[in-house]
Amino acid sequence: MASINLMSEIPDEKNKFARTHPGWSVWLRQPAIVALSFVLLVAYAFFLLPSKESAPPFLFYLSINFFIVLVLAFTGNILADNKKPEILKMVVALMLIVALCWLFYRYSGAQWEKLNDFFFNWATLDGNWWILWQGLEVTLLLAFISGVGSVLVGLLIAVLRTLQSPTLNFFLKTYVDVFRSIPMIVVMVFIFFALPFMGISFGSIASTILALSLGYGAYASECFRAGIESVHSGQLEAARSLGLSRWKTIFKIILPQSIPVVIPPLTGTLVAMLKDTAVASIVAAPELLKRARELYTSETNPTPLVAAALIYLAVLVPLVRAVNLLENKLQKRRNG
Amino acid sequence: MKDTETMIEVIELHKRFKDLHVLKGISTKVKQSEVVAIMGPSGSGKSTFIRCLNRLEEPSSGQIYIEGIDILAPYIDVNLVRTEIGMVFQSFNLFPHLTSIENIKLAPMSVRKISAKEATERAMALLEKVGLADKADAYPEQLSGGQQQRVAIARALAMQPQIMFFDEPTSALDPEMIGEVLDVMRTMAKEGMTMMVVSHEMGFIKEAADRILFLVDGLIVEDGTPDYIFNHSQHKRTIEFLGKIV
Repeated sequence: MASINLMSEIPDEKNKFARTHPGWSVWLRQPAIVALSFVLLVAYAFFLLPSKESAPPFLFYLSINFFIVLVLAFTGNILADNKKPEILKMVVALMLIVALCWLFYRYSGAQWEKLNDFFFNWATLDGNWWILWQGLEVTLLLAFISGVGSVLVGLLIAVLRTLQSPTLNFFLKTYVDVFRSIPMIVVMVFIFFALPFMGISFGSIASTILALSLGYGAYASECFRAGIESVHSGQLEAARSLGLSRWKTIFKIILPQSIPVVIPPLTGTLVAMLKDTAVASIVAAPELLKRARELYTSETNPTPLVAAALIYLAVLVPLVRAVNLLENKLQKRRNG
Repeated sequence: MKDTETMIEVIELHKRFKDLHVLKGISTKVKQSEVVAIMGPSGSGKSTFIRCLNRLEEPSSGQIYIEGIDILAPYIDVNLVRTEIGMVFQSFNLFPHLTSIENIKLAPMSVRKISAKEATERAMALLEKVGLADKADAYPEQLSGGQQQRVAIARALAMQPQIMFFDEPTSALDPEMIGEVLDVMRTMAKEGMTMMVVSHEMGFIKEAADRILFLVDGLIVEDGTPDYIFNHSQHKRTIEFLGKIV
């Protein structure tokens, strides 16, 4: 009885397309086998896994590693089966994560109490949240102004490139290549620390905005260029044959058509720029990361840094999701 | 030199693309209200020829006079030249982000600087003329190929050009849509528009064209009435080509 049940997905009669060997994967993926192996795994965890000091080291590691291999094999067996429902796969995947975390928690010997006191000591933030809030305000302000700046720089470069003057293109290309190759932090340090020696000084906020606008302007220009190049050359010819000047052709025909193509990569670039405002803490702009570092020093505890990380997550994850949604929407519209 | 009857005069026109010598010295004249068909095997330079005449391609050498004015002179504003010459393309090239009527109004308003009201009136009259008054607010993607091409013709006419160029206007169309476009072109020919048409639509050419230029390898090998070219041509290449397309 039981054996028939276990083999329920394997056909009774042989035909010319039937497997010549039993097929381990088919056999292993039968619901009864999966359930059985799950029960065995749980039993293993309860009865065979050693407590921390009980077994000699060799058996200790062998036992744990064998358990991990079994858990991975069990999860892989289910995730690789495209006939299993997604909800089951999600549950199994989550269980794998929980199991690994649990193993780590049990056997790593980490000093959890200390870790908690050190990195998650929320008491250090009492009365200090408003400082982080101020930092966030500065971060968002920096991102907004630099965003506008880099869009303007990018648009200018892309429009100038449509003039197709080889000389001009050489310099524009050099600009874009240079700024795409230099790390943002280097540009910022150069503007803030080196330029004053040449008699040009910017404040920390101004140099951040300048650096981000110039750097991300180079990226934005590439987005615009891709959009402009996506417009069919026939459009250009039609516009020119109607007597539209170069500039009218660009602003009335080319740019309106390239906007839907430009928006997704451009917003992606701007989100990356928002993240890069953290670099401004190097030139002491009072943005979120800088504020968190100040608190880290004054409280002699890194919890504020963790809080800053959480704030970055809270701002950026929804933004990234929104960009994704926008992308899908535009894609759908373009495909009709 | 000035000849009011002559709309277009071309003298020894050459065009080279790097090593490729496409036009090898074309000379001809087109009179006012004349309808000239340009025929020839593919690669013979038909499209390049009419694209040189409104300087969508820069000629390598030669002279082009439109209404007696040398349009290759350095002081010429090529955009003003193009306002006098309407052009219709094989692939329509309507602006996809604008409706039919906006496509038609764009150039008159931003180049000729006429008022929005006047432009709308003119555009509606033209849409009426090409039989698409009910499609004024449709976007190009909502129109059939034949309808798009008729809007493209209306768009070119909205600039009130003296001359119209057609670069294979029906080649990209399904057979049942060719007629509607040719009808519009026939009407324009009857109304006295000066037209140069790159096309192999024999019926249309026989009926509407005053002259045929037959191009082979960048040279005009024959220049005559449709009756002469179709029925009495002695030229080997012409006979061979016509034999293939009929």
